[in-house]
Amino acid sequence: MQSAPWVTSYLTEHCAADDFATLAGYRRRGGYEAARRAVAEMTPEQVTELVKDAGLQGRGGAGFSTGLKWSFMPKGGDKPKYLVCNADESEPGSFKDRLLLERAPHQMLEGILIGAWATGAEKTFIYVRGEYAQAGRCVQHAIDEAYAAGLLGANLLGSKFSHDVVLMLGAGAYIAGEETGLLESLEGKKAQPRKKPPFPAQHGAFGMPTTVNNVETFSHVPHILRHGAAWFRGFGTEKSPGTTLFGVSGQVRRPGLYELPLGTRLDEIVFQHAGGPLEGRRVKGVIPGGMSMPILPASQLDVPMANESLRERKTMLGTGGVMVLDDTTCMVRTACVIAYFFRDESCGQCTQCREGTGWIHKIVQRIERGAGSPADLDILLDVAGKMEGQTICAFADAAAWPIQGLLRHFRADFEEHVKHGKCPFPQSFEL
Amino acid sequence: MVISAETRARIDAEAAKYPRRRGALLSALHLVQKDLGHIAPDTAAEIAALFDLHPVEVMEVVSFYNMFFDRPQGRHQVRVCTNLPCSLRGARELLRELEHHLGVEAGGTSADGRITLGHEECLGACAWAPMMRVDDVYHEDLDAAKAKQILDALR
Amino acid sequence: MPRITVDGAEFEVAEGRTILQALDDLGVLMNGVEIPHYCWHPKLTIDGSCRLCQVEIEGMPKLQIACNTQVQDGMKIHTQSDRVKTAREGVMELLLVNHPLDCPICDQAGECKLQDYAFEYGIAHARTQEPRRALKKRVDLGPTIVFDQERCILCRRCVRFCREIPKTGELGVFARGDHSVIETFPGTPLANDYSMNVADICPVGALTTRDFRFKIRVWFLEDVPGVCTGCSNGCNVYLGVANNRVYRYLPRRNDAVNETWICDAGRLSYQEIGASDRLTRARVRGEGGALEEQPLEAALAAAAARLSRVVRAKGAEAVGALASPHATNEDLLVLRRFLAALGTPHAGCAVVRGRGDSLLVKEEKAANAAGARALGFGDAAPLLERVRSGAIAGLVALGSDVLAAHPGSLELLRGLDTLIWLDTRHSELETAAHVSLPVRHAAEKDGTLTNHAGRVQRVAPAVEPPFEALTEGEVLWRLGAALGLDGFAGAFDARAVSKGLAEVSPAFAGIDLDSVGPEGTPLRKAGA
Repeated sequence: MQSAPWVTSYLTEHCAADDFATLAGYRRRGGYEAARRAVAEMTPEQVTELVKDAGLQGRGGAGFSTGLKWSFMPKGGDKPKYLVCNADESEPGSFKDRLLLERAPHQMLEGILIGAWATGAEKTFIYVRGEYAQAGRCVQHAIDEAYAAGLLGANLLGSKFSHDVVLMLGAGAYIAGEETGLLESLEGKKAQPRKKPPFPAQHGAFGMPTTVNNVETFSHVPHILRHGAAWFRGFGTEKSPGTTLFGVSGQVRRPGLYELPLGTRLDEIVFQHAGGPLEGRRVKGVIPGGMSMPILPASQLDVPMANESLRERKTMLGTGGVMVLDDTTCMVRTACVIAYFFRDESCGQCTQCREGTGWIHKIVQRIERGAGSPADLDILLDVAGKMEGQTICAFADAAAWPIQGLLRHFRADFEEHVKHGKCPFPQSFEL
Repeated sequence: MVISAETRARIDAEAAKYPRRRGALLSALHLVQKDLGHIAPDTAAEIAALFDLHPVEVMEVVSFYNMFFDRPQGRHQVRVCTNLPCSLRGARELLRELEHHLGVEAGGTSADGRITLGHEECLGACAWAPMMRVDDVYHEDLDAAKAKQILDALR
Repeated sequence: MPRITVDGAEFEVAEGRTILQALDDLGVLMNGVEIPHYCWHPKLTIDGSCRLCQVEIEGMPKLQIACNTQVQDGMKIHTQSDRVKTAREGVMELLLVNHPLDCPICDQAGECKLQDYAFEYGIAHARTQEPRRALKKRVDLGPTIVFDQERCILCRRCVRFCREIPKTGELGVFARGDHSVIETFPGTPLANDYSMNVADICPVGALTTRDFRFKIRVWFLEDVPGVCTGCSNGCNVYLGVANNRVYRYLPRRNDAVNETWICDAGRLSYQEIGASDRLTRARVRGEGGALEEQPLEAALAAAAARLSRVVRAKGAEAVGALASPHATNEDLLVLRRFLAALGTPHAGCAVVRGRGDSLLVKEEKAANAAGARALGFGDAAPLLERVRSGAIAGLVALGSDVLAAHPGSLELLRGLDTLIWLDTRHSELETAAHVSLPVRHAAEKDGTLTNHAGRVQRVAPAVEPPFEALTEGEVLWRLGAALGLDGFAGAFDARAVSKGLAEVSPAFAGIDLDSVGPEGTPLRKAGA
């Protein structure tokens, strides 16, 4: 883990300093001032409008307008309202939330406080994936410090506002990162996503109105409060303002985190910032947003990293996990790794997902070991198509997209395996 | 009673944080597993009683999550990530070396009971691949020599 | 009330219902409006995981599951569009990727929703060549149910049933993804009083009953509507009949009585019909003191003669009757007329009682206890007192409930001059009886039974006993004729008798064999 990204901006500029994770260090740099002002001088509606105007999109992969999501929470009423911070970061290729949890937990907490004020939530559950033990320790430490300093609990910041924060560790299941799968896990059950409707804002954690936001999303909020919507919109694109943490990994010279404005071109990230491919290799393909997002070939990396542009290339921003694959790598073996993941992590409820992920994995494995036929490629696409848009949650879609992307741009690799019964990339990682 | 009074007290403290007691179930399973190494059926039945659940509901949860075990494990969990970014940087070869080094296939436990070796999906350390998790500590930027050294030091 | 359109047909539905619920309320689901489904069940919580019930709704871009979509006024639903057909093909194909090709050895064949929907909505040609998931094939989940894990399509109906209906929660879904399996907790088998219902609700042959295992192919069975006679709940059933034999009971839906369920004991009570301890021959106690088989006519004559003797010696009021709570209303009406014509008021009814529960099982272990009471048969204690005192010397006993309901009654009854005993099965009463006459089971006759809540329900003959047996009503009719009593001329006619119920008991006003209907009719309340 690096202590700070290779390139920083407002979100991570202080991460290199060890004391930024402490309350004193955070406060010294202006921390919790935005939350204090929000609670003392703004109404919840004003805070929500501000975040809406700033155009902050969720940074957990779905890209939904955060301010709009907050406005879905019912006003008043006698039911307790909850916030949930989704710190279950499990999307392969994503490691940005981990940095924020370990190195900037108070920044996230401040964002949570502001969000709690805006939505009327009385409690936040921070759900950290079970494997992030160190991040969990850092967050609990920050929570304890905040309580001790009267920043959490009853009448915080000297106001009438009270808010509690509870940390919970998950136990290893990718699907617990899905909003309603997380809620099920939070309630002590298997992380099986819920049917929608009802939506969390009506029926969420423990049946109460709930908003779920990602770690990074919360982390942007104090900056928006501090500097305003216009300032925030000075970064990024019109439709996708602000910066984000791109996590670059794979066969690239300088893997790591890069805090850059949304809309930065993918080739700039891969070649200029991350130094391009390893010695003697060429880039073959790049997965732009975490493993669920369809791959782009080397010829299509001239795309701004923002949803509105990526969609035109039939892919998406996701969590900004940029994975670089070079010309030694076999796309069929890549498909096997991806297919295994989705088969293993399917919660198993929906027929299409449970059986589809299994079937796809079996087929790509068979193609990989040389027993595939041309018809198999059609079956793969057909099954992937029958998984899309028909399940309780988007996991089945996420399982379908990578296969569609690989076949769209790298069909030749598959055809090689089918025609010759073996892998044409001897240097590729073995399964 | 396999669950200690102290652990019960910690479970109760956790349960108080949730609007419904069952919210603390995963935390309880972590606490109990830390004490006992795994969650056997009679342990699950005790936990079920603490949460007013059918025992089968506790076993369902144990079986759903990667980090809970229903059978005895080695003293240490060693998990090499073999997801895509790590595979692109030699994770699978590393795992094979460690299997050879310990004389164990992934999923198995070393004969001396020290280590259960396995693979795991993305652990959020992609830029520092290959890497492995040893219990609750990450070891990143590994090569075979470094990894073996770490394993040999485990008691 | 919202109005929705399904494939062009308009329906008025109740507010707050999902599409499947609303169509089920109207009785058109799978009965005019075909929306195939697995995980949804009208009496269980909504699951939403099988995805088979997807339909196209105008104004909604994605297909929606009909089980979880609330009806809205003006909603226009299409169940046969190309998109829906493709979606169904997808679900069916994917379910068949791992499902084993067990049809030739699977009990469910012929009533299997996977077969039915694969045929109706699936693709004709299997594309998969992958090895199927290998799991446990013959798990004894408990004493009543056999489980084949490979056949399971994970609709989770069984898991929800155990948690929601008997609330015993023995089943769970373990692991995740395509490694999911249904299991019990080690040491806690599936063993509740309603366990066999899971075999009904399982759409495939994953859960089958040990009782029915490999007995007969279901396409040989005729499903005859009837009523369980195990207790006074009167759960509606289908009797599965072939070769003049009842092979099983299945619950028949009646939302006013048993919804879609039946208890295990009731379900298995079909075994009484073909039991080896059925009384099959009329018998008369001979000079030597043993019961000897006689032709039915001769036995009836002997019975009439003995009753006549009692009446001549001690008067009509020295004769009494024990009504059976297992006999039909029609049988019991004939008994009342018999006693009235004979000139004695002395009668009572004994009912065996056992454990009841808060679901379906009732304490009175007979199907027509309430009917007997409604027809004027009160408690048997006063009658037995008259037997003890010697005031009653001759008794016509229908059934043997008196033995368990009144301990010590056997000794009492041994003291009678004449005991004419009618029953379906052997019991200790035969040691006291002078004439023993076999009678038919409720599954072998036309009649009505009144359940604990006063609902009158129809039974019709599903099988013919393979021996000579009359109904209680017929026996009494012939005895009446043999005794020269008024009103017993001609042949016994259950239908005609049933029309006379209302005269004797106004609660039966308008209720007879023909008018009762397949779901029964409640007795009229006093003053109604």
